[in-house]
Amino acid sequence: MKFDGMKFALSAPEPPFGRAGLAAIAGLLVVWEILGRLELSIFIPSASTVAVAWWGLLTDGTLLRSAGSSFGSLLKGFLPAAAFGIALGLCMGRFRTLREVLDGWINALMSAPLSALVPVLIALFGVRDTVVAATVFLFSFFVIVVNTMTGVRGTERSLVEMARAYGASEAALFVRIYLPGALPAILLGVRLGVVQAVKGMVVGEMLISLVGMGERLVYYGNTFLIPELYAVIVSVLLVALLSATLVQACERALVRWK
Amino acid sequence: MSAPVGISIERVARSFGPVQALVDIGIEVRAGELLALIGPSGCGKTTLLKCIAGLLPVDAGRIVIGSRTVTGPGGREASLVFQDFALLPWASARENAEFGLLLRGAPAAERTQAARRALAKVGLAGSFEDAYPAQLSGGMQQRVGLARALAVNPQVLLMDEPFASIDEQTRRILQDDLLRLWSEERKTVVLVTHSMEEAIYLSDRVVVLSPRPGRVHRVLEVPLPRPREALDVRASGEFARLVDELWQILKKLQ
Amino acid sequence: MPLAAFLALWQWAAWIPVSFNFPTPWQTLVALGELLASGALLAATATSLQSLLLGFGAAILIGVPLGLVMGMVRGVGRVARVYLDLLIALPTAALIPLVILSFGINILSSAVIIFVFSAPFITMNAYGGVRDTRPRLVEMARAFGASWGKLFTRIVVPSAAPMILAGLRLGLSRAFLGLIVAELLLSPFGLGRLIMNSRSMFEHDKMFATVVWTLLLSGIALALLARLEARLLRWRAG
Repeated sequence: MKFDGMKFALSAPEPPFGRAGLAAIAGLLVVWEILGRLELSIFIPSASTVAVAWWGLLTDGTLLRSAGSSFGSLLKGFLPAAAFGIALGLCMGRFRTLREVLDGWINALMSAPLSALVPVLIALFGVRDTVVAATVFLFSFFVIVVNTMTGVRGTERSLVEMARAYGASEAALFVRIYLPGALPAILLGVRLGVVQAVKGMVVGEMLISLVGMGERLVYYGNTFLIPELYAVIVSVLLVALLSATLVQACERALVRWK
Repeated sequence: MSAPVGISIERVARSFGPVQALVDIGIEVRAGELLALIGPSGCGKTTLLKCIAGLLPVDAGRIVIGSRTVTGPGGREASLVFQDFALLPWASARENAEFGLLLRGAPAAERTQAARRALAKVGLAGSFEDAYPAQLSGGMQQRVGLARALAVNPQVLLMDEPFASIDEQTRRILQDDLLRLWSEERKTVVLVTHSMEEAIYLSDRVVVLSPRPGRVHRVLEVPLPRPREALDVRASGEFARLVDELWQILKKLQ
Repeated sequence: MPLAAFLALWQWAAWIPVSFNFPTPWQTLVALGELLASGALLAATATSLQSLLLGFGAAILIGVPLGLVMGMVRGVGRVARVYLDLLIALPTAALIPLVILSFGINILSSAVIIFVFSAPFITMNAYGGVRDTRPRLVEMARAFGASWGKLFTRIVVPSAAPMILAGLRLGLSRAFLGLIVAELLLSPFGLGRLIMNSRSMFEHDKMFATVVWTLLLSGIALALLARLEARLLRWRAG
């Protein structure tokens, strides 16, 4: 069962800052406002009501507090996932035996519903925010490994041969051919990983219902505070888009030759 | 600029598992000559070139460039030019030209100077040096590949069907440029080609390899006058006769 | 070989006193047997699969045609892709409280959640598949006088098929993810409830057993889909 990490590439969200993107969002906001004003259902507040609620949450500190906790868990889980994921991906791409041993596991875990493991994590760590960081790690690790590995394996044979012909050592080959060649794929993996990390963060927080924006989602859901609920949903989306944009900026800076 | 050296290919054999690619190859490449290797598909001409470059070890016999026996890749005597250019897509033309020197640990200033000189020799001086391969045409990319090969100052140039991926008009220009460069630099050149016309136009001698297992089938002398890029050699009757003679040899091998 | 290594690792993890009641592989196996025998596991699976079929089925029936239309009509594609990108970036779990409020706690809620988890990916892949059709093939077909209908069925669809099927596989794995998250949060039925109940009753071996069962289930489902995909795409080289 092969999971081609690159096929995921179409699902790599592009932050919608182009002309079509902004127009589409503006249109969405207008429709949303109209639907809300029509009072079709208490579950569809107007965009302006949500905006007011959002502002309220921002000013009374709730948003910053929960967002802060969320970001903390995000970093605690994502940074190790990126570091270990890239390292493992590089090794698996380069060394065939390692790849053959681990490939099946990585693929299986990447397509598995990792949320099923969250109760296991809770059993392990107790109901604490470490669970959130662990969930973030799980959600993002495998995507990064697979994309890094694909990037290394996609290195053109002729470039390797050329470098060998000019006398490159193994180390030089790695640093000057494999690594730069794999960089676009690695960064794609990191971008996909960050989006997955945010998803893991929310799932983890919702399931332990203790801290962060996930906890707020459950709380506002239970207490029927619908505009506030929408406000947090929008905030979560913004976090995801912000993270993806940051990584994309890194991509653009590092890979100017494409 | 170093004096050209000859290549001694002595009783070389090479197989890939059960498949015998080359058998009992013996060629004496004269110092400073331009030698073409030609043969039907699968005759092992690219394999032989890679053996000379040291990319593939020989199973029997030995190859001596100048006074040094070839034991592995990265030797200082020979430089390789590739059919698909093999340029680093993420590096500029100048950085690509510097690559061989980079691997040898040359300091930055020296590298840049050598690369610029080489790029000038192949006609890519000035603003081209900052362009990326994606922005260059096939012909220009191969010039960069050639510059890279020249920048390390080799005594031998090994070219693996260097113009096969390039359109015919550009190819002719590059062939003439190669001849000009060769007469100025006085290097020994071994060129693998599919094109009989190219083989006769460029070389002093043409070595024809037989199909697998590859052996030296014939060695054809090409006594056409030089400089060929200045004279209209292609229009001469002698040229046509030699091409036809080569074709007759190759036809029997198909 | 790697399975043995994994089991050994598990056994070792159970022995270190990190947290109480971390069950060993054997305990988990025993619990799995008990759950199967009592019928609890199968009942929960049936309920879960109902939601899955409903939600995933809807995702395919709506997602694939939508993706195809997006690919064929440039304007639709450019606008719709913005919304889909947002949906894909958004942690879908965040929508769950909203869905629960709107639809209540029942199979419909589960199905809606599963739909939202998987449909965007299915749609985007179908869209990409159509967009990547080689123009040369379209040109060739038109040169031979193909109508728009023929172009669609004989060129676009077969050309997009690999991407569509990959999208289905991705969608299915997302559907399972949505299923589990929904049920862990909703709790009243299905495998998710079983997991949460076992945990609250400190029956960690039963919880582990259910988690393992769930992972196996999703693995088998994906493997079956991959088989189907291979059979349908036998013409692919390599």
